[in-house]
Amino acid sequence: MTKHVVVIGGGVTGAAIAYDLAQRGARVTLLERGSIGSGTSGRTHGLLHSGCRYVADVDVARECYLENVTLRKIAPFLFEKNGGLFVAIDESDLKYKDFFLKKCEEAGIPVKELDRNEALRLEPNLNPELKAAVLVPDGTFDPLKVMLSFLASAKLHGADIRPFNEVVGFRIESGAIKAVRVLDKTSEREYELEADYVVNATGAWANKVASLAGLSVPVKPSPGVMVALNARIGHRVFNRLNKPGDGDIVIHQRGTSVIGTTSWIVEDPDKVTIPREHVELMLKRGTELAPIVAKLKVKATFVSSRPLVGAVQASTGREVSRSFAIIDHAREGIENFASIIGGKFTTARLMAEKMADFVAERIGINQPCRTADTPLAPYWSYFT
Amino acid sequence: MKYRVIIRKYKTEWREPKYVSYEVEADPDTSVLDVVEKISLEKDRTLAFEHACHHGACGACGMIINGVERLACITKIGEVARNGMVVLEPLRGFKVISDLAVDKSRMFKQYALVKPGTHEKVVVTVEVEKLLDCLECGICYSACPIANTFEGYVGPSVIAMAYKSSSNGKVPAIIDSRRGVWACHGSFECSARCPVDFKPGETIMKIRKELLFGKLQVV
Repeated sequence: MTKHVVVIGGGVTGAAIAYDLAQRGARVTLLERGSIGSGTSGRTHGLLHSGCRYVADVDVARECYLENVTLRKIAPFLFEKNGGLFVAIDESDLKYKDFFLKKCEEAGIPVKELDRNEALRLEPNLNPELKAAVLVPDGTFDPLKVMLSFLASAKLHGADIRPFNEVVGFRIESGAIKAVRVLDKTSEREYELEADYVVNATGAWANKVASLAGLSVPVKPSPGVMVALNARIGHRVFNRLNKPGDGDIVIHQRGTSVIGTTSWIVEDPDKVTIPREHVELMLKRGTELAPIVAKLKVKATFVSSRPLVGAVQASTGREVSRSFAIIDHAREGIENFASIIGGKFTTARLMAEKMADFVAERIGINQPCRTADTPLAPYWSYFT
Repeated sequence: MKYRVIIRKYKTEWREPKYVSYEVEADPDTSVLDVVEKISLEKDRTLAFEHACHHGACGACGMIINGVERLACITKIGEVARNGMVVLEPLRGFKVISDLAVDKSRMFKQYALVKPGTHEKVVVTVEVEKLLDCLECGICYSACPIANTFEGYVGPSVIAMAYKSSSNGKVPAIIDSRRGVWACHGSFECSARCPVDFKPGETIMKIRKELLFGKLQVV
């Protein structure tokens, strides 16, 4: 009998896990409390990372770059593949340049230094005072469409995708989850869904969901504020050539440009508001990168919580990557339950590959991951 | 500011929808979407609505706000409230899943017929690619008198996408049919309501003209 895996969380991680497991032959049901991408994943600025922001950790940067290449290959239609520029505005930025170039080389990320005139020719809205510029393989995307493509692909392999279905509890018997209790918001009815294995891919909400089973997950919800402008001011992503910091990136997609971001830690991702001073900071820092920002109107401000990995103790889980973690709840007495936290939108496919490897081993599926070589289905086929 | 938000609610086993009122405290600058999300988190746990990007880039949160189709994420509550009241209803022309969430299949299933591309080329100083401005939000279907009465209509946004992403002066044959550009009655409600000024109405008229003058071929 085919094993039934319940994936909780309809963000990009859950969508990619549902796809990977369904492709390997598992019977998959995905549960999402709201609509697809209504948590953190939808509210990203939409940067397909080149990895260059993370060069301080070469392994993380390399991982990001390789996933960037994989996603471009399996779904070219989802991305604006125009690259990005890291620009030095002040002396401190300029001092970072040699370190940056050396680390990009170590990480195997193809970058190219441009002279000032060339950078301004490519992106006339950049600060004309810029002192150095490096072209990197960034890209941008519409996050919802990426998630829908993963889910459309999952559906082709028989996955059952259920938005507006919130997990409200677990039926646990002799150290295993027998069934997930679900509230269907479209009918206001509760039902039970039997499961052989349960994956908690709820990101910043992972601890809230795990607590329904009496467990905890060391996730630190870390909100970031983003400001969308009512115009598009460039085509390549604008990055500040320095260590990652507040308001050091401007990302363009469709008719808008988004300035990001800030970072702090909260307890509950459902109780986050936008500090007004963060919006002012974004506009100030964005203006340093591109002076035209000062002349534009704000179209929207938004905030979402990254699922940062807190202290993962050796006794509670195993780290599969420095950028994300899989928590095996068997160690706390529930044998068929695991949570995945951390990561980036860009690395979701890789996270799903590792999570699906982990689940496949436990439910006896002996199939390798094929998501890196299979074209993704177009997002519109999700609806057919 | 205190606002009264009235939402048309519908659950699958109800015989008919009902309007439910919520009192909320919000700054006039708050987006209607953030207000709806707050209601769902604090007052009505089963409220169903669609949202993702919260900045007018993904098209998920189209709804009817005081009678007019808008993206809730880029609509400030203070700008649309009348006497402190805001009425929210699901888009027209689509099957309601629940409350404000609609099933956009009738739009997305047209894509298989016309297979539009997602990109256009833009030349600034050098050529770059960008995603088409259309957010695929469904607002033009909701606003269109034809899409509301003729299920087979390919629809404003999909026709415009197919044309804008065509490269060789050819469009799929269905565009030049009663289900395509010839269904349009030229009300231009699509263009009037489009949140990103994609101008589907003008594009439909342009396609008609090019078809009539032999400038555009079908495949």
